[in-house]
Amino acid sequence: MTPALDPLLGIPVVYLVDDEDVVREALAWLLRSRRRLSEQFASADTFLSWLARQTAPTRPNWPASPACLVLDVRMPGTSGLALFEQVAERGLLPVLPVIFLTGHGDVPTAVAAVKRGAFDFVEKPFSNNALVDRIEQALQASAAELPPWRAGRLRDRALAELTEREREVMSRVVAGRPNKLIADELGISVRTVEVHRARIFEKMNVGSAVELANLLRLGGGHDGE
Amino acid sequence: MTAAAVVPESAAAPRRLRRALPWVLLLLLLGVAQTLLLLLTVRYEATRAQDETELVVGEMASEIRGALLLAEQQLQALGWGPGPVDAWRAPAAELLKARRELRRLERRDNAQNVLEVQDSPYLPRLFMQMPRSALGLEAEAACGVARRAAAPTFSRSYFVPTAAGLGSEVMDLCVPVQLAGRSQGFVVGTFALTPLLEGALAVRPARRHEISFVEGDGTRLARAGPSRGASTYRAERIIDLPGAQLLLRADSSSAAPSVIPNLATALVLGLSLALFAVVLLLARDVRRRARAEEALAEALAFRQAMENSLVTGLRARDLAGAITYVNPAFCSMVGCSVQELKAEVPPYWPPEHLQAYQRRQAARMQGLATVARDPAEAREGFETVFMRQDGERFPVMVYEAPLVDGQGRHTGWMSAVVDLSAQRRVEDISRQQLDRLQATARLATVGEMASLLSHELNQPLAAIASYASGSMNLLADPDPDGATPGLLRQALERIAEQAERAGHVIKSVHDFVRRREQQHESLAAGALLESVLPLARLQARKSSTRIELDLPPPGAPPLRVRCDRTMLEQVLLNLARNGIQAMETATPLQDRVLTLRVRPGPPGRVAFSVIDAGAGVPPEVAERLFTPFFTTRAEGMGLGLSLCRTVIEQHGGTLEFGPGPLGVGTEFRFTLAAPKPAQSDETAASAMAA
Repeated sequence: MTPALDPLLGIPVVYLVDDEDVVREALAWLLRSRRRLSEQFASADTFLSWLARQTAPTRPNWPASPACLVLDVRMPGTSGLALFEQVAERGLLPVLPVIFLTGHGDVPTAVAAVKRGAFDFVEKPFSNNALVDRIEQALQASAAELPPWRAGRLRDRALAELTEREREVMSRVVAGRPNKLIADELGISVRTVEVHRARIFEKMNVGSAVELANLLRLGGGHDGE
Repeated sequence: MTAAAVVPESAAAPRRLRRALPWVLLLLLLGVAQTLLLLLTVRYEATRAQDETELVVGEMASEIRGALLLAEQQLQALGWGPGPVDAWRAPAAELLKARRELRRLERRDNAQNVLEVQDSPYLPRLFMQMPRSALGLEAEAACGVARRAAAPTFSRSYFVPTAAGLGSEVMDLCVPVQLAGRSQGFVVGTFALTPLLEGALAVRPARRHEISFVEGDGTRLARAGPSRGASTYRAERIIDLPGAQLLLRADSSSAAPSVIPNLATALVLGLSLALFAVVLLLARDVRRRARAEEALAEALAFRQAMENSLVTGLRARDLAGAITYVNPAFCSMVGCSVQELKAEVPPYWPPEHLQAYQRRQAARMQGLATVARDPAEAREGFETVFMRQDGERFPVMVYEAPLVDGQGRHTGWMSAVVDLSAQRRVEDISRQQLDRLQATARLATVGEMASLLSHELNQPLAAIASYASGSMNLLADPDPDGATPGLLRQALERIAEQAERAGHVIKSVHDFVRRREQQHESLAAGALLESVLPLARLQARKSSTRIELDLPPPGAPPLRVRCDRTMLEQVLLNLARNGIQAMETATPLQDRVLTLRVRPGPPGRVAFSVIDAGAGVPPEVAERLFTPFFTTRAEGMGLGLSLCRTVIEQHGGTLEFGPGPLGVGTEFRFTLAAPKPAQSDETAASAMAA
């Protein structure tokens, strides 16, 4: 009934964070019955420490597959809402959509969270399959966001490797200025500009100035002048 | 603070002037009057002295004149004697002897040649210093006149010097002697003026006057009597004599009347001074009085302002209970004017309490001495209910203190009356808030419990639902894998587990209710009623309802019940509130009585009744009275009576209602079990063990 996800993107994973073991395990079992892989966390803190390991600078490719975070609002220790804020801070929201599970009385909190970018909230007691359907939709959204997000990540890492001078040259190249003009503006020789240009293309893994411009437009993450 | 400081300077000056004016006028008039009196007295003295002088001179003048005229006649008689000189000589000597003033007698012939001379025997002869011929001019002139007029004629007076530089003023009287129509010569008498005066003085003594003969220019010719002094008062009189005139003058020896030595003046002066002193004293007294009055008025105004600014009502009553004074705060509190308050029965006594108040007042009148002796009680005050003009009742606190007058007599009562209605309103509001808060708290507790319960039940139920849905998913899977049967078994095991868990939750709720039942305790029925009394009274106060406790007589065996105290209190309170509210609208104020009654019930039970005097329960309401969520009141939840019934039934009784025992109102009845003797011991033991 749900459209199949692109298998090339890897096996999607549902992360369940809930302090109530019975409910969490039952939910995991339900997902298993729908052939979805899930990982369980008994508290926001355990999930956060695990997440910190996954997104360490040495492992820039997390999440490697479409993912979704199902989060209980009310938990001892770090609350679901605080956890949501952390995820949002790391810029993971597009590829890690968050679905809140709310008890009665938490609805306004959940609504506010949705306004700030959470994927949805489901009120307890929830209709099981409806929740799974919503999780599927979240996974779809994550799958759709994953490639450009990952490209953006790579681009940002490449950008970080550029030297200051290369960055100056690059912004002028993207603006479409000929090498000669760039050399004049920066007070260097045309030859040097050409060397920089070649290094930029190599580092950013592009073949032409047009490709470079497209890459920089991606996700709008470029913070040049 | 003095009045001068309060009244502006500009206003004070004219007032002072106005007050000073009468005094200045009085002093002025007194001064004028005294001066006039003094002047008049002095003037009178002067006039008297002058008059006396006038009198003296008049008398003297007539005396002298009389003397001279007599001498004239005697001289005439002397002249008539004809003939021989010897015959003349003897009477002449006699005459000279008789009249001291007559110094010399001469007989002259028609040619005025002196024929005979006879001198006065008292003094040296007159013309020793100067001859008569040198001084005869005046006599000759007089004799000339006398002959022509054929009548005795006086000459003008003239000075005859005598020995030792002295002299005397004399005048001559020339008497023509005629015999048978023919002039025979003259008799000339020489009178000295000084003896003439002295003679007159001897006859009419005038001790305080100098008498003198003077010429027209004031030259004194002769004088007699005491020295004339300052000659302030003088009077002159002309003595007309044939042929000559003499000017007689009297000078009073008394000086111008001076002020002090004069007795009358001194008296007047003294009195005037005394009068002035009195006036001054009076003025000072008046000023002191004015100042005291001012201070008094100020104090009075201060007191008035103080009384008017009071929010507390002040009321003074005499010993008979009649109002003698009220302040504005009291008037505005009860809404009556001062006149209306003077009525025999105070208009602020609510009619329904009239008798009770009159009894109270009578008791106070009787117990005067004791109350007067106990100021502590007065400070504590007592609470009562007054009525405003519009019929509204309001609670007041009255503090009474005896009024004692200046002589220490007890004359009445001064009461401070504090309107408590605002305070009551605040209390009511806070009580209502408290009620609401408690209700909210109860609801919150119920909500909390519901939340907890639902959470506890939700978890297993949610898990069961998840496993069920998952199992359905697996069963519906068109392409089952090998793990499916194992998964299904697992799901079923979990479902069983969770169902059991839910069962535990339900059981624990049951246990809780049972535990609550074990908290029943044994207590006195009266104590149960008394414990709800304060709260019930609080609710009753708003509608002026009285609450009466109807317990068995003191001699009866004590009634004890076994119940959950908190729950039963709640039941009684609910029933009391219902009763109070039933009387709130239609029942007259004096009939609003709620009775809480306890009596022995059927064996082993105690009967409780809550009886109101309201309109009773209409039949259509009666049917549904205990139905939950049925209410006749806008703000009611309709749970009160329903809860009451539940509680009573839990205690093994029934809650019933019917018309009140007197046929009015409604009675709610229920019974509670009395504790068995053994059971109470057991309770005590378990309580000790706990």
